[in-house]
Amino acid sequence: MATADVPHVSRVRATEASLRLAFQMFVADPQWLIPSMIAPVVFGLVAFELFQGAGPDFLTYAILGAGMMSMWGQTLYGSGWAIGQDREFGTLEPTVQSPTPYVYVVLGRVLWNVVSGLAGGGIVYLVVLAVAGAPPALPDPLGFVALFLFVMLTLAAVGILFSAAWVYTRYSGFIQNVGEFAFYVGTGCMFPVVILPFWTNPIALVFPPTWALDALRYLAIPGYVGFAWGFWPDLLGAVATTVVYVAVAGAIFRRVELHVLAKGNLSDY
Amino acid sequence: MTNVPAIEVRGLTRVFESRKGFLFREVSRTEALRGLDLTVEPEAIFGLLGPNGAGKTTLVKILSTLLLPSTGTALVLGHDVVEESAWLRPRIGLVLGGERGLYNRINARDNLRYFADLYGIPPHEREHRIDEVLERVGLEGAADRRVEEYSRGMKQKLHIARGILHRPQVLFLDEPTIGLDPKSARETRKLVRSLVSDGVTIFLTTHYMFEAEELCPEIAVMSKGRIVARDTVAGLRQLVGGDRTLEAEAYGFEDREVDAIRHLPGVSKVVSEEYGPRTRLTVRLRSLETTPDQVVATLPGHPELAVRERRTSLEDVYLDLVEEEAP
Ligand SMILES: Nc1ncnc2c1ncn2[C@@H]1O[C@H](COP(=O)(O)OP(=O)(O)OP(=O)(O)O)[C@@H](O)[C@H]1O
Ligand SMILES: [Mg+2]
Repeated sequence: MATADVPHVSRVRATEASLRLAFQMFVADPQWLIPSMIAPVVFGLVAFELFQGAGPDFLTYAILGAGMMSMWGQTLYGSGWAIGQDREFGTLEPTVQSPTPYVYVVLGRVLWNVVSGLAGGGIVYLVVLAVAGAPPALPDPLGFVALFLFVMLTLAAVGILFSAAWVYTRYSGFIQNVGEFAFYVGTGCMFPVVILPFWTNPIALVFPPTWALDALRYLAIPGYVGFAWGFWPDLLGAVATTVVYVAVAGAIFRRVELHVLAKGNLSDY
Repeated sequence: MTNVPAIEVRGLTRVFESRKGFLFREVSRTEALRGLDLTVEPEAIFGLLGPNGAGKTTLVKILSTLLLPSTGTALVLGHDVVEESAWLRPRIGLVLGGERGLYNRINARDNLRYFADLYGIPPHEREHRIDEVLERVGLEGAADRRVEEYSRGMKQKLHIARGILHRPQVLFLDEPTIGLDPKSARETRKLVRSLVSDGVTIFLTTHYMFEAEELCPEIAVMSKGRIVARDTVAGLRQLVGGDRTLEAEAYGFEDREVDAIRHLPGVSKVVSEEYGPRTRLTVRLRSLETTPDQVVATLPGHPELAVRERRTSLEDVYLDLVEEEAP
């Protein structure tokens, strides 16, 4: 019965399987309801209060700020956490032992976090809409949605790199917390980066979402003053940094795996 | 495929370094494997026996590409476990067993679906294949229950189901019956035996001599990172001497009495153990040169003496081997 030739592993299907598993685990575990469904409501309300009276486009500011807050946590934190869970469950070993390169497993988990992050963004939108009683004026709704999705992808790119740390060591909580803090301060999730002290900008520019978000604000808010170089360079920077992140992730995972196999800490948690 | 050994290991070593402390780092080194050589022929069950810490799991993880060796080489199906792990992974299966290693919050079927996809099992075949392995391990009735509701034995079965889902040519089973009650353990052994009739090579580790004896035509005994014996069950019995073992129990023996027994013709080994106020002498008898009666006659003045004769078990052989290695 033992077959001599083995089936070709479809990377798309492996990614899909990983996304499906993440969804099933989410449904099975109510603790995720709080960060993914309740937090966006709170963020929405807070942002509304915070930006109220900050000019004609305060609604857009509120939605973008709160939306990014919730998606940021969902996508970034969730991505690292998913891999940390594999460590905790002891499922990292059989997964690495399978013929699917681990990066596709991570990709599936991250994509799930993108999906649930989007849901969080949607909730924020509805909450702000409900309190304001009117939708924000968007000059280019289609472009906004497209760019919004793109922001999510840039977040996912960062999430994949965070995940690599979780494969690397069980002590990634530390790396992730520091990284998230830098990200939180640097990228201007809640408010535009340009209002931050100048020295934080180089940190901010390391993260693809900084660029993408600035572009999004340029698109959504007439008269927005962000990075001096404006919309198109923002978009270009976002694409370039995202490509770098994905390339680094692709290159790093096999190395991370070899490191872990050498150290023998795959089953630590 | 013929002529290629299923497993071929040469001079394999593995050192674990663990660090303790933050400011004053203390590095402790454990030599889990110390120069191991082993060849395993295909399409049979091979048993690897050894006490706790012998290095069994370390070897299994290296062979199944989950751990890199420090030095030496290991080939599975003729392919290097380090350089050709991508070729090997779809062709080997690993069952580490235990409470961990499964997604407890979802059901067995979804666990298997996930791994089926990671192994590239074609979509049109997936459900059928899952049903097949679930039935094989006897979980067909529990497929849609969450794994967290499973008993230890059921989890073990699910581990095995996952291990055989992709029909590996070599299956590594690390202590498949540990922690199982006798009935589940027996079912598991039956399952393992049925797998080998499919032409799978099974590499099984265990603490239990009787398990190895029952399942494995060939056995290697491992102690402190080395193979200390490698033979068939019958051969292993020969290795350490006689056919029969005598157990004599009394309230203490004098040293000269033990010496006298040791010097009887045909006695290959005498081990003395204390059991509370009583002492047990285990006397290994080679051939028929010495009769049990002679042994009894050498121990006069013990009215309470109880003597029991039995066939030397593989257990005795095993303990001898592992003991000889001890410092
Ligand atoms: N990741 C690790 N880090 C440090 N030391 C380790 C690690 N894994 C195993 N060891 C050490 O290597 C030695 C061999 O361990 P191994 O788990 O291979 O033994 P084993 O024969 O499987 O034992 P058991 O029967 O208890 O399962 C032990 O001394 C163990 O402490
Ligand atoms: Mg072990």
